[in-house]
Amino acid sequence: MTARLTTFWKNLWGGERAVAPTVDEPATSAPVTAILPAVDIAPNDPLLAYLHNVNGPVEIARLQMESPALAEMKATGVVICVPLVSQGELIGLINLGSRRSEQEYSSDDRKLLADLATQAAPAVRVAQLVRQQQIEAAERERVAQELRVAALIQQTLLPQSLPELDGWGIDAYYKPARAVGGDFYDFRSLPDGKLAIVIGDVTDKGVPAALVMATTRTLLRAASERLGSPGAVLERVNDLLHPDIPARMFVTCLYAVLDIQTGHLLYANAGHDLPYRAGPGGVEELRARGMPLGLLPGMGYEEKEITLSPGDTLLLYSDGLVEAHDPQRQMYGFPKLRDELADFPGGDLVDYLLTTLHNFVGPHWEQEDDVTLVTIRYDGPAHNGALTQLADFTLPSAPGNEREAMAQIAEAVASLGLSPDRLEKLKTAVAEATMNGMEHGNRYREDLPVRLQAESDGQQLWVRITDHGGGTDIPDPATPDIDLKLAGLQSPRGWGLFLIKSMVDEMNVIDDGQHHTLELVINLAEKKDTD
Amino acid sequence: MTTNSLPVRRLNGRVSVIDISGEVTAKSEDALAEAFASASSGVQAVILNFGGLEYMNSSGIGLLVTLLIRAQRGKQKLLACGLSDHYRQIFQLTRLDEAIGIFGSEGEAVASV
Repeated sequence: MTARLTTFWKNLWGGERAVAPTVDEPATSAPVTAILPAVDIAPNDPLLAYLHNVNGPVEIARLQMESPALAEMKATGVVICVPLVSQGELIGLINLGSRRSEQEYSSDDRKLLADLATQAAPAVRVAQLVRQQQIEAAERERVAQELRVAALIQQTLLPQSLPELDGWGIDAYYKPARAVGGDFYDFRSLPDGKLAIVIGDVTDKGVPAALVMATTRTLLRAASERLGSPGAVLERVNDLLHPDIPARMFVTCLYAVLDIQTGHLLYANAGHDLPYRAGPGGVEELRARGMPLGLLPGMGYEEKEITLSPGDTLLLYSDGLVEAHDPQRQMYGFPKLRDELADFPGGDLVDYLLTTLHNFVGPHWEQEDDVTLVTIRYDGPAHNGALTQLADFTLPSAPGNEREAMAQIAEAVASLGLSPDRLEKLKTAVAEATMNGMEHGNRYREDLPVRLQAESDGQQLWVRITDHGGGTDIPDPATPDIDLKLAGLQSPRGWGLFLIKSMVDEMNVIDDGQHHTLELVINLAEKKDTD
Repeated sequence: MTTNSLPVRRLNGRVSVIDISGEVTAKSEDALAEAFASASSGVQAVILNFGGLEYMNSSGIGLLVTLLIRAQRGKQKLLACGLSDHYRQIFQLTRLDEAIGIFGSEGEAVASV
């Protein structure tokens, strides 16, 4: 405080008029001929303690103490000094040189100076306080302006637009608790056409977290360029981050690679909140083990995988959601998140979760931590009418090969998300049609293969089973009837075609004169009704 | 996978059980006929326990119809248990379930005799 006295003094009177004029030299008469320079008094100078305790003007010549300030005052010709004291605090001095008349200061002079000091001190104090507040306000505004710029810069580190992919709906929400935050998310198209998805959370919030966030994001981008697998990317970033990250700070991060053709998701997790898969099949936590980034070097990261089905939504999020509190200090928490996801009726999951959050915390919530949500909804293979080839293979006509046909078709259509029931029915239909082809079309000649093809436009699935028995009229077999069979009026066999028709939505026969094809049709749109 | 021979269990004087495992296809014809011949002598009911069934096709269904005809000739009941939902549906579609008594567990099947 005391070190700043002279500065305030200068500012108060402006520029060089650093010291009050001598009292017998009114400013309105002749110009001031001698201005005493301002004196800085160090906080540990004994003069300070002395002046604090005196009352009224002090004759400098009489003072004897080891004081640099006193020596300076004597050297510059200060004769009398009057402490300005406001509310017990020394806030400045009025220094005067010798009188023009060269006479001593009279007792009237001293009384006048004492009165002046008593009245001037509060006014000077008020001026000082106003000045101080102006400086602090300017400083606050400067910091706020810097934070606004930092927030703008941080915004550029987040994706400027969301990936737009046929058959997928991707959405994101990001709101830091302060101007800048430690959460981040990122998308990146990989050379093989897959999509890398990242979400992360730096411990702490505000500026320190934002700085670490920027570094981590850059390291992740560089690593994902060179390394394909999520586990390898996290391992690399952890090793790079560990030597540089400040003590007690770390980064949780989930890194996933999504095959947008099939819905297959490969992921690894560095201690981040577990993502959820929510859909017609229920709610599932995606677990994978791994330490947060930056804590310990040489860590390995477990890789796990799932295949999303049409209607599934993947949720990645930061703890700002689950650790939000309601007015009664109850936490939002994982059980509630899971319940809300189970009740999710479909549509916009970000809107849905934000609504649950706002209803939970109430209107007067002060956001406690950064909130980030990333949702990835799978609508199914592109609904743009384009056909996707799922399978095209041949099998030799040998007994038992229908089971191979079943297995290969089941694998090929896995990405369509058929319910277990419908998948079993399709498998039975494929097996029966393949058997028919091998037996009736190809007469079990191993040199005549059966060809199986599967394709989908997202609305329907077609599976075609083609044999070499085209051009021959196959009489429509009698519809099997259990009563007739038990009565011996029909062969016990002859169930194949009946089963095929019962197992699929539609069955067509195509004959080009050489080849005989059974086309099985499944309506994918009805999927949800049977789930 | 091929059902070379199927184990037959005689529970009491009235009921015996054939434990089906693997697949029921044309290849199972001999094994199934043999097992039924052994299981059906002198009992009131034969239970087919499908708990170990992996795959049954239309030929297999034809075999079941043949067994059913034999059982009816012998004035015996043919019962089934342990069917998965999928094969239970196929039994309904083919109306086999009207001629073969379907039960969730072997115990329930035995108790019905």
